Amino acid sequence: MMPIWTKSGKKHAVTLLKVQDCHVLRYISKEESGGKTSKLLVGGKNASPFSKSESAMEIFKEAGVPRKQKVTTFNVTDDAIIKPGTPLYAAHFRPGQFVDVTAKTIGKGFQGVMKRWGFKGQPASHGQTKTHRRPGAISTNKAAKVYRGKKMPGRMGNIYRTSFGLKVWRINTKHDIIYVNGSVPGHTNCLVKVKDSKLPTYKDCNKNPPFPTFFADGDENLPEDLYDDEIFQFTDPSVTYA
Amino acid sequence: FSTSGYRISSDGKPAKFQPPPKPVIIDKKKEREARRFLSPEFIPPRGRTDPFKYYIERKDMIQRRKVFNIPEFYVGSVLAVTTADPYANDKANRFVGICIQRGGKGLGATFVLRNVIEDQGVEIRYELYSPRIQAIEVLKLEKRLDDNLMYLRDALPEYSTFDVNMKPVSHLDHEEVPVNKLQVRMKPKPWSKRWERPKYNIKGIKFELPEKKMKEAQKWSQPWLEFDMLREYDTSKIEEKIWKEVSEELKK
Repeated sequence: MMPIWTKSGKKHAVTLLKVQDCHVLRYISKEESGGKTSKLLVGGKNASPFSKSESAMEIFKEAGVPRKQKVTTFNVTDDAIIKPGTPLYAAHFRPGQFVDVTAKTIGKGFQGVMKRWGFKGQPASHGQTKTHRRPGAISTNKAAKVYRGKKMPGRMGNIYRTSFGLKVWRINTKHDIIYVNGSVPGHTNCLVKVKDSKLPTYKDCNKNPPFPTFFADGDENLPEDLYDDEIFQFTDPSVTYA
Repeated sequence: FSTSGYRISSDGKPAKFQPPPKPVIIDKKKEREARRFLSPEFIPPRGRTDPFKYYIERKDMIQRRKVFNIPEFYVGSVLAVTTADPYANDKANRFVGICIQRGGKGLGATFVLRNVIEDQGVEIRYELYSPRIQAIEVLKLEKRLDDNLMYLRDALPEYSTFDVNMKPVSHLDHEEVPVNKLQVRMKPKPWSKRWERPKYNIKGIKFELPEKKMKEAQKWSQPWLEFDMLREYDTSKIEEKIWKEVSEELKK
C-alpha cells in the first residue's frame, strides 16, 4: 500500500495490484452454464504444470496457455465475448473507474468469540471466575434449543470476501499495475479478482472503457502511466492555494 | 634586480633561495563523492513484500526529488519548512524546528520538527513527499548522539528553543557532518517515558539520578538482544544497489 495525493493536497492510501499473465481460458455459453448470461473462464499467474493431473490440464492445453494458479469465472454479455487464449492487461481498466475486489481473507485459524464476532466478553476483575472471553448465554429458556448459525468460536478467515466500490486512481501499462483506492482483502502477494463495480451509484461511471478488452497488438499506443484527473503527478511543481 | 640578495639570515650572509611550498590540491569532488548519503526512507524494511513494489515506489520518489529538492538532513539538524496552507494570510506557513524523529519508509516517510514558541512546545510531523511542502531549508546540519530525540519533551525547554528567524549556518559540501555531543539536562521526574532504561539506549542525556535508580534501571536490560541472529538485518548490499540506482537517476 502506498500514499497518493490529490491536486487539493489530500492524502489517500492506495493498494497496488499487479496483472500477472492473465489469459482467457474458455467460453461457456448461456445454455451450457445454465445461468442468465454466458461465462468466460479467466486464469492468472503461471504455475508449474507438473503437479496437476492430465484431465485438469486439458483446459490450458485447449487455450494454448501455460498452467495458471487461479481460475475464475466472469459473467459476460454476448457482445463482450473474447476468444480463449487472448492475454488480458491492466489497461483493461481506466483511471476513474470503480471496481470490486474479491480475495481470500487472511486465515486466523481457530479463534474465540471475541475476535471472530466482536463480542464484548466479561470484565477482567470484580469477582469473575474463569470467565473473561466467553460468549455467555447462547440462547433463551423459551427457545429450548440453539438456533442454526449461532455465533460461536471456530475457524476464522481464509474465505472469499469482496470490497465494493474502490476507485482506480492510476494504471501503469508498462508493468501492468492497477492502483486501487483503500485496502483489499487478503495477505500481501495474494491472488485477487478485480471486477467492474456492481454498486448502483457507479453504474454509469465508465466513460468509454476499452471494450471488450484492451488488445496489446492493436493500434492504440498508451503512455506508460495513466492518471486520474484529480491525482497530483510527481512531475508537477508543488501544490499552491492561490 | 632580485630581492633574494636582500634576504639576510641570522649569520649575516645572504640566505639561500627557498622555493615557496608546493600548493596541495585537495580534490573536493572526490571527497564529496566519498561521502554518500542515502536518505533512510529508501532502504526497504524487512518483510514479505515483493521488492518490485519498492522499485515502483522508488521511481515515484526519484521523480519527486527531481522536481523538488529534498536536502540531506539528520535527526538533530534544524530545518525550516514552508507548506501551502489555504487558511493562512500568505497561503504559506513557515515552521522552524529541530528534527527529533525520522519515520516511515517509501513515499510515506515523515519527520517531526520540534520548537518552543512563546513557552509552548510545538511538534509538527511533515511528510517528505507531500505536494503541499513548498520548501525545506536546512538551517543547521548536524547529528546528535541518538537518532530519536523524543526525550527533548522532558528536557528543559532551552534545549528545544530555536529562533524562528535564525540565519542558516554554512556547511561545506566536502566536510564531515559534525556530531553534537551535547548532554541534555532534564526536568524533574516523572517523564513521559523512562529514558534511563537501556531499551531506549540514550546517550544524549545527562542523568542526574541517584546511582541506585540507575542500577535499578539496568534490571530491564536485555544483553542477549545484540547476539540474536534472527534480528540481524544487514542493509549494506541493498544500500549500495539502491545508492547506485538513485544517484544515476538523479544525475539525468
